Amino acid sequence: MLETAAADFGWSTAAETAAAVAAGRASALKIVEAALARIRARDPLINAFTAVTDERALDRATELDRAQERGKRLPALAGVPFAAKNLFDIAGMPTLAGAKINRDAAPARRDATMIERLEAAGAVLLGALNMGEYAYDFTGENPHDGPVHNPHDRERIAGGSSSGSAAAVAGGLVPFALGSDTNGSIRVPASLCGVFGLKPTYGRLSRARTFPFSASLDHVGPLARSVRDLALAYDAMQGYDADDPVCVERAAEPVAALLEQGAAGLRIAVAGGYFKCRSAETVYAVDRVAAALGANRDIIISQAERARAAAYIITASEAASLHLDRLRSRARDFDPAVRDRLIAGAMLQASLIARAQKFRRWYQREILKLFAEVDAILAPASPCTAPLIGQQTFTFDGAELPVRPHLGVYTQPISFVGLPVVVVPVPLSPLPIGVQIIAAPWREDVALRVAHALEARGVVAAPRPPD
Amino acid sequence: MPGKAKSAPKVRSRAREAAAGPQDSIDTLIAASAQALRLPIDPAWHAAVRANLQLLLKQAALVEEFLLPDDTEPAPVFRA
Repeated sequence: MLETAAADFGWSTAAETAAAVAAGRASALKIVEAALARIRARDPLINAFTAVTDERALDRATELDRAQERGKRLPALAGVPFAAKNLFDIAGMPTLAGAKINRDAAPARRDATMIERLEAAGAVLLGALNMGEYAYDFTGENPHDGPVHNPHDRERIAGGSSSGSAAAVAGGLVPFALGSDTNGSIRVPASLCGVFGLKPTYGRLSRARTFPFSASLDHVGPLARSVRDLALAYDAMQGYDADDPVCVERAAEPVAALLEQGAAGLRIAVAGGYFKCRSAETVYAVDRVAAALGANRDIIISQAERARAAAYIITASEAASLHLDRLRSRARDFDPAVRDRLIAGAMLQASLIARAQKFRRWYQREILKLFAEVDAILAPASPCTAPLIGQQTFTFDGAELPVRPHLGVYTQPISFVGLPVVVVPVPLSPLPIGVQIIAAPWREDVALRVAHALEARGVVAAPRPPD
Repeated sequence: MPGKAKSAPKVRSRAREAAAGPQDSIDTLIAASAQALRLPIDPAWHAAVRANLQLLLKQAALVEEFLLPDDTEPAPVFRA
């Protein structure tokens, strides 16, 4: 077998790596060994990983190489390393969900469905990734495992709660990673770390054997350095799963083969009103993407501020209910910032939550009407580039606001009704920032096609950070 | 099914009154809720819990002020 220098694959896409393995130009084992070496060398600077499953990964890579030697046709992601936010079950390990308390949990008996499906497609799990405690976080500053450092400036946050997922991808440790998104936890870190992220339609991808946060808002999805890698990972994970009652009985709708259709013929508008950009970075990023797509029409998402408010209180209430017993018995073991929000959430009256759920129905109907007029909507993904680690406030629309609850100001009104979104990174210097491409329910293909068209034209890209 | 939603009413919502009301009304709510829910709250956490609860009630007020028809179905689990 002709070995390409495995070190070359550190910044390769998943598609390039899989193609090299399938063509016999590289072995899965060498690729995985090189990826593990990168993690050993670079992760101490980023702090993205909380566990490295090296033995498992080496065994899996060896199996793939043996299958190749036997002449077996390899699956689409053969030999591609990936890692998962530590709220995905990994057999044999407790599922941390970023929490000290969960270190006492029994080891998971089986992998999360998403990990099983990715490994069935040939991908190789390298480990578990750091995250904000119980996913109630937009910063990635975990008090138990330490903060995740943004690879573009290690003094800055990676964003959360899928902080390790975004940083591991942006820092070249893995080509793609799994994250979860309840109010923006894939999209905010993707924006701050300058990578692509996909939050699919609510109910599209199985959440089976993941640690929940706010059940009626929880989604899972991939982060990657290219749109094709997002699509390949997404295609491998699609399909009904009876183990997640929210996962819909809908046939998989593969998108990788559709990317070349691009954005031609699609009606694309820019979200105005509530989503109107308020910082120089967001103005530049959205304008650049809109100009490249010829999107010169504004559209108003009615009552978006109220939608964010409703998402805010539903999240607080559902999360408080989830953690009530732990708040009674182990309150001192929580991240204090998470604990105090959860306690407050437990005190919200049920009548207010029911009103928020009713409003959600109204808002859903209003948003669906917009998609009769347009195919995709552009909006900022975060209100600013990455704040400093430890920074408590930032300036937004002339006001000084706390960082932790407000980084999701543009993402919460969208996930509130489960719409699919691709975040595309605009490679500003010195720090990147993301733009959301929002599509109608079940039209991930539209958002990914638009993202691919932008990437092909060089308008968006995952920038390589300084060494 | 829900009809056209009306704009915000002139009366202040209960949640807004609670969020904006005297500090002792929030403190009373916290003390009573903690007792009813059997939640231990260290006095050192009280200020942060109060700030979070005030923020939540302010958000709840935004939602409550938006009038909806009685027959609006809630969406506890959203299906896009």
